[in-house]
Amino acid sequence: MAEIGHGGKEIKERILEPAEAKKRIQGLKAYPIRSQLANEVIGIAYGFFSPLEGFMGKADVEAVCKKMRLKDGKTVWSIPIVFDMSNEEIAQYGVKPGASILLTYTGNPMAIFEIEEVYEYDKKSLAKDVYGTDETKHPGCARTYAYKDKFVGGKIALVNRPKINEPFTPYFLPPLQLRKIFKEKGWKRIVAHQTRNVPHTGHEWLMKGAWFQTYGELPMDKPYVGVLVNAIIGEKRKGDYIDEAIILTQDELRKSGYFGDHNHLTSLTFWDMRYAGPREAVFHAALRTNLGLTHHMFGRDHAGVGTYYGPYDAHRLLESLQGEINIVPVYSENWLYCPHCGEITSESLCNHKKEWQKFSGTLIRSIVQDGVKPPRLIFRPEVFDLVLECAEKYGFGSPFVGEEYLAKRTPVFVMPPLA
Amino acid sequence: MSEKYPINLWVNEERYEKLQKAGLAAMCQEMLAGLKCIQVYCNEAQKDKILKVFPTAKFDSATTKSIELLPRQVKDKIFDLVVQKQSIDIMDEFLKGY
Repeated sequence: MAEIGHGGKEIKERILEPAEAKKRIQGLKAYPIRSQLANEVIGIAYGFFSPLEGFMGKADVEAVCKKMRLKDGKTVWSIPIVFDMSNEEIAQYGVKPGASILLTYTGNPMAIFEIEEVYEYDKKSLAKDVYGTDETKHPGCARTYAYKDKFVGGKIALVNRPKINEPFTPYFLPPLQLRKIFKEKGWKRIVAHQTRNVPHTGHEWLMKGAWFQTYGELPMDKPYVGVLVNAIIGEKRKGDYIDEAIILTQDELRKSGYFGDHNHLTSLTFWDMRYAGPREAVFHAALRTNLGLTHHMFGRDHAGVGTYYGPYDAHRLLESLQGEINIVPVYSENWLYCPHCGEITSESLCNHKKEWQKFSGTLIRSIVQDGVKPPRLIFRPEVFDLVLECAEKYGFGSPFVGEEYLAKRTPVFVMPPLA
Repeated sequence: MSEKYPINLWVNEERYEKLQKAGLAAMCQEMLAGLKCIQVYCNEAQKDKILKVFPTAKFDSATTKSIELLPRQVKDKIFDLVVQKQSIDIMDEFLKGY
């Protein structure tokens, strides 16, 4: 049976069989790509970005920027997926419509890029449309301004499967594989938890709250609802938690019994965050629809940065798109500790307002950074111990990204030589 | 009154003993489910300087309104100065070195 993804289109992996791949790459010029583009090639080829079949041409970029739709005018899409090249590279690699090049990553073949279009696009206008600002200090704008001279549109076909390094291997679950797992588990509804964080109990309760909201009227005879923690793995900034700590601690909540196999699963998506706030929320909705999810949690200031977006702008934009996206938004607000209740509770449940002890990911990071163990009601001891273990094993002594980690870490994935 | 921006110095047993010896234990607050903390305060100019001198530091404007993510050795220095001066009014002196 066909697996239908975002925009009502069937999800089809764009991956060539090894024999065909070997044949088709012969004579192609090899062009090495950076990690952002490699992440997006995987997104396209495995169907994370369905219905995209390649990098966008100008008509798609314009429609995405101006109307938040693909060029068909119907399919909601909020972030341009573009491939940039310098004028010199375009000349050197013979990049023109009708030509193909071989994209390589970590020194080995990755994908064939069938070029359909080479074009210019006003970066400032793109930034303004997507991010609502053209300020260089917005990380999404900075990424846009760093693009080279021209964009190249065309289809992608993977010629080689990436080798996912440990400890990430079990968490790379592309859409078709993930949908199969959901069927095996018997889950009728699955709610996405988007994360780039090590979980504190506020996050844990966001997930538990979303599980209740998603369960709704379903019977309780079997577990019909699962939470999928879908960690975004991409470019790191100094001070972030290291990727290994994020993915392993999220899964630790299941392993340590705060959730279980019957209602919790952790996976990852390769994506360099744009911090586009409301538009990034819409992108996440499309992405998670492709993963086979029925519901998606959206918290306060989803995927925002600084003070560029209002705390509930993403919720309002998603509301305006109801009927056009095939995933149910589950809105949530902050969870906190109430000493009067003696438990984690929500701003909309508890009325001991004067006693509330609010905490954020930043505050918890600060406590961990001080080398102090937070109380178990705030941060699970198994999670804390694992954070310290990850610091020693993967983080050169720190659970946070530093220069040494950036320079020496084992990459999350590499392209192996073609078999 | 001018705005004050706290830096949270989280207190484990070792730090608590030092604060007791300095006669400052009573200044600890139970901030988070029983977790103890002693706060030193910055004014606007001190906050701006801290964020400039230590680029990993962050002002948590959304939730706690405090200055967070200072490097551990910096927090240790601030804590040691609190104990040495037996006071939480130490930010002027601390920032003299930067």
